[in-house]
Amino acid sequence: MGKETPAEKSLNLIRGRLCDPSYVFRPLSASSDSNYSKLKFIVSTSITEGCNNSMLLLGPRGSGKAAVLDLGVGDLLEQFPDSVSVIRLNGLLHSDDNCAFKEIAKQLCMEHHLLFSKMASFDDNSQFIIAMLRACGLAHKTIIFVLDEFDMFAQGKQRLLYSLLDAMQSVTSQAVVVGISSRLDADQLLEKRVRSRFSHRKFLFLPPSREELDGLFVHLLSLPADSGFPSGYVSRFNDKIKNLTSDTRFKDILKTLFNANSTVNSFLKFIFCAVSLMNLESGLLSLENFKAALSSMQRQPKLEAVRDCSVLELYLLVCMRRLEVKEQSSYNFISVMKEYKAIHDSFHTSDYYAQNVCLRAFEHLRERQVICYAENRGQSQTGEYRLQKLLISASELHQGMRSHACCPAILLKLLDH
Amino acid sequence: MASSLSSKAKTFKSPTKTPTKMYRKSYLSPSSTSLTPPQTPETLTPLRRSSRHVSRKINLGNDPIDLPGKESVEEINLIRKPRKRTNDIVVAEKSKKKKIDPEVSFSPVSPIRSETKKTKKKKRVYYNKVEFDETEFEIGDDVYVKRTEDANPDEEEEEDPEIEDCQICFKSHTNTIMIECDDCLGGFHLNCLKPPLKEVPEGDWICQFCEVKKSGQTLVVVPKPPEGKKLARTMKEKLLSSDLWAARIEKLWKEVDDGVYWIRARWYMIPEETVLGRQRHNLKRELYLTNDFADIEMECVLRHCFVKCPKEFSKASNDGDDVFLCEYEYDVHWGSFKRVAELADGDEDSDQEWNGRKEEEIDYSDEEIEFDDEESVRGVSKSKRGGANSRKGRFFGLEKVGMKRIPEHVRCHKQSELEKAKATLLLATRPKSLPCRSKEMEEITAFIKGSISDDQCLGRCMYIHGVPGTGKTISVLSVMKNLKAEVEAGSVSPYCFVEINGLKLASPENIYSVIYEGLSGHRVGWKKALQSLNERFAEGKKIGKENEKPCILLIDELDVLVTRNQSVLYNILDWPTKPNSKLVVLGIANTMDLPEKLLPRISSRMGIQRLCFGPYNHRQLQEIISTRLEGINAFEKTAIEFASRKVAAISGDARRALEICRRAAEVADYRLKKSNISAKSQLVIMADVEVAIQEMFQAPHIQVMKSVSKLSRIFLTAMVHELYKTGMAETSFDRVATTVSSICLTNGEAFPGWDILLKIGCDLGECRIVLCEPGEKHRLQKLQLNFPSDDVAFALKDNKDLPWLANYL
Repeated sequence: MGKETPAEKSLNLIRGRLCDPSYVFRPLSASSDSNYSKLKFIVSTSITEGCNNSMLLLGPRGSGKAAVLDLGVGDLLEQFPDSVSVIRLNGLLHSDDNCAFKEIAKQLCMEHHLLFSKMASFDDNSQFIIAMLRACGLAHKTIIFVLDEFDMFAQGKQRLLYSLLDAMQSVTSQAVVVGISSRLDADQLLEKRVRSRFSHRKFLFLPPSREELDGLFVHLLSLPADSGFPSGYVSRFNDKIKNLTSDTRFKDILKTLFNANSTVNSFLKFIFCAVSLMNLESGLLSLENFKAALSSMQRQPKLEAVRDCSVLELYLLVCMRRLEVKEQSSYNFISVMKEYKAIHDSFHTSDYYAQNVCLRAFEHLRERQVICYAENRGQSQTGEYRLQKLLISASELHQGMRSHACCPAILLKLLDH
Repeated sequence: MASSLSSKAKTFKSPTKTPTKMYRKSYLSPSSTSLTPPQTPETLTPLRRSSRHVSRKINLGNDPIDLPGKESVEEINLIRKPRKRTNDIVVAEKSKKKKIDPEVSFSPVSPIRSETKKTKKKKRVYYNKVEFDETEFEIGDDVYVKRTEDANPDEEEEEDPEIEDCQICFKSHTNTIMIECDDCLGGFHLNCLKPPLKEVPEGDWICQFCEVKKSGQTLVVVPKPPEGKKLARTMKEKLLSSDLWAARIEKLWKEVDDGVYWIRARWYMIPEETVLGRQRHNLKRELYLTNDFADIEMECVLRHCFVKCPKEFSKASNDGDDVFLCEYEYDVHWGSFKRVAELADGDEDSDQEWNGRKEEEIDYSDEEIEFDDEESVRGVSKSKRGGANSRKGRFFGLEKVGMKRIPEHVRCHKQSELEKAKATLLLATRPKSLPCRSKEMEEITAFIKGSISDDQCLGRCMYIHGVPGTGKTISVLSVMKNLKAEVEAGSVSPYCFVEINGLKLASPENIYSVIYEGLSGHRVGWKKALQSLNERFAEGKKIGKENEKPCILLIDELDVLVTRNQSVLYNILDWPTKPNSKLVVLGIANTMDLPEKLLPRISSRMGIQRLCFGPYNHRQLQEIISTRLEGINAFEKTAIEFASRKVAAISGDARRALEICRRAAEVADYRLKKSNISAKSQLVIMADVEVAIQEMFQAPHIQVMKSVSKLSRIFLTAMVHELYKTGMAETSFDRVATTVSSICLTNGEAFPGWDILLKIGCDLGECRIVLCEPGEKHRLQKLQLNFPSDDVAFALKDNKDLPWLANYL
């Protein structure tokens, strides 16, 4: 590879920042009220005072729960290099108790350079974990269990949670259980004997405020002055960013974005999109980049599906819509064909196709999930007799047809009556 | 270093016995040329290593398990006086030197060699207690051990002074009080000091010389001992300068052939001998317990010393010069540290400790110990073969877990009141007493005593129920502990106790294996276990050595054992009714009506005797918390009351109350540490408890609803509006979207499009603010609010961005 241009270099730098949670969340976690500092305080006191704790991190998806935890744990690993080990489980992978115990044993073995045996039974593994917790507690080592998708562990008998939390009721063990969940009622899912053993420290992760996001925008996109860029480039780039932030059109774009989803994660995705669209010749970000990024963030798949339909498919959709308006709530291919035929008979349209062609078009619509079967029952029947449902609303259909390239005018009329 | 140990006062009574003076002299005096100890290498630690290797070799050779028939192990409980031997033998088994001086070869100088040869014929008699040189030595005692190859025999004392000389007057009076400097460990007479002290001061005390040294001056006038008087060194000093060793006696035996008494010693190490050397936080009198064993002859043992855990050590400030502190175990293979397990457990009795047969079957437990050692030697190689987690009797490789360096934050940290409060409020710390449950405990005690002390021992069972956190398990366990003490005192006949937690079993059937293991110590499959247990309980056959003793079975979380045909519960509850079973079953569960839910043949066996642990009321909770916090001034009284009232109103769960208080202490700690003000009152106040309660009990949905994105809020409003309009809890996405678009239209908001709205709905569904079907159903997706509409209305009413939302709520 040849020498990078300043534009490529800045692109890489910014992309690197966007993918590094610690760079993103460090400025958001500075204040003493932040979850980061509270979380770190609790975990570090558990390490220094040798006590057990269990807590839950709750918040909508993309609000940085795991990232903030990683940030805190990373700091603590630096601060107490020998005495912290982290075991990570994910509810989607390890919701089965047996498998979860095996995974914990495996990670504990890896951490302490022991040999792991796949053949060990559930009993062996659970006793090994308890013996290990005791041994680590005696050696002043804290084990941090990170349970991602915590709600998935709260299914069934909850053996894993019970065993972990019950093991933490002895003086010699020294462990912290951190559950991460996007379900706000995750702690209500726990069985009562498990809940009674749980410490109930809850951290709520809320989407950041507008000012914080503005600060984050500048923090992410402004280039540092001393990093080997041509001197003019850095100032031009930063000026452009400053101009953008004061532009009302840009503010509108951000507002539309935040109206839909104001979490940090979606904001990062948005910036990533915009940066990827950057013009490499000028090496500067423009308003158009952000506009394009917004439209790629907020796509309307159903509308696009209608826009790409063939004329016959539009006919079929309109027929189905008409049937619904006639309060005929259940219909199958046969009844749709009847309606299609009736339209053709009364208006003498040019587009009349044979039944097998229509069936083909019908199948295409179903494959694109514009329509679907009304119920899962009746799989023995062939497709044409099974009841169908339209998955697209009237207004969407209308909008889509209007933006369609070659939609016959009669169809729009038919839709409105 | 913040040593919390108070200064030692050396209040020696005049020694009642100076036991071994004459005796020792005879063999210690360097004049007896024929018995000169072999030359020693200069290095200190390798020596010990070498002795370890050698001793291990012996172990492997004559392990009683390996040679069960060849070796007769007698069991003698009597204290025997060893015969005084006329020609004493110098024991030099610790020497690294393999070559034996021809002059001394007539005596078993190198017992290693001779032993390995004589393995087959050897007989040993094991003792619990031996009186040797008029001093009693017991298993578990700590002793000084002579290094026979003492580096400079000139310094070898004529006698070992039990009282050290004063550092100023160099005389040792037995009747004046001495004080010990916490820095140089020198002893001083109170009245020799300038200015003289009247009594021993509280806390640390540092002598005038050390103070001068500390202040940075190099010129220190230390009083010289008077000419001609050699400064006598106490054993403590010799030990700390590694001229002596300390060890714990693990075993005592006599070789029957030559009548020589041996001990198996577990070495202590001084910090200097570890890989790391002395660390900053090490106390002067600190020792490490090692996992290094050696067999040595009784001759080498000098006298007792006292190695104590930190708690006892701080109390034992007046116990004399031979008191040492030991908190950590040192692994000589890995060079790692670990807290000593028994000490960390405190008075909590662990499984291994619980063997009521300690007295009767001392030889049996010996076998076990020997087995242990052998295992730990081979452990390294074995762990290479099998995984660490697959256990065949025990886990290998756990000894590798240990830290290379004791973290300073653990040792040098002085706890504040709040931190102390947090520590005692931990669920893990066992309270000294269990308040508010005396009636229930009496009932359990009466039940167990009644069932085991009957000659018949008609098996019975008891069902204990109550909501979580009402102290069911801990009450039973503390009853068992009291009973154990009574067994030891002899007022109750011995029994065996098996504790099982239903939720920790892989499957309900596994309970048979666990019971069988608890009774016999062997692991078998559950089917075989069931068969043997049936034989044991129903037909009265014996399992292994365990016989005649009644068996108490504690099953926690009994409800988990309910299988489809309920055979597990039936079997377990049926055994007690058999005439020879001698089985008592205590079942613990949460539900009150568990027996009623079961098949009638089971409930008739279980439901007779029940004990209910009701939820605690606020006064009891308050008592529980304040007994834990006794002597710690960290909480406002009203704060405790507030917490306990709140918990009593909700669940009566003691764990919850303790957790709230601990959380409140954490909040207060955080507040005080962040504000950086050295506040005078480090008390937990009402506000902290309030915060903790809020965090614990309040569902976070209101906060989330307030802070979600604008469209999500409109979406929720539309749902509430739809609910008011139709009165139906469940709506479809179709209808909600139409409402949203009409709301947006009337209030001048941009309608984002259906697909984006669908995504917003699904995001809300993920947080469980609304319940919804998967998003693929699109228009037909069914939606429902997960919280009362009033909550939503409350959360969204005073909205600054969207004031018009209130119109729809």
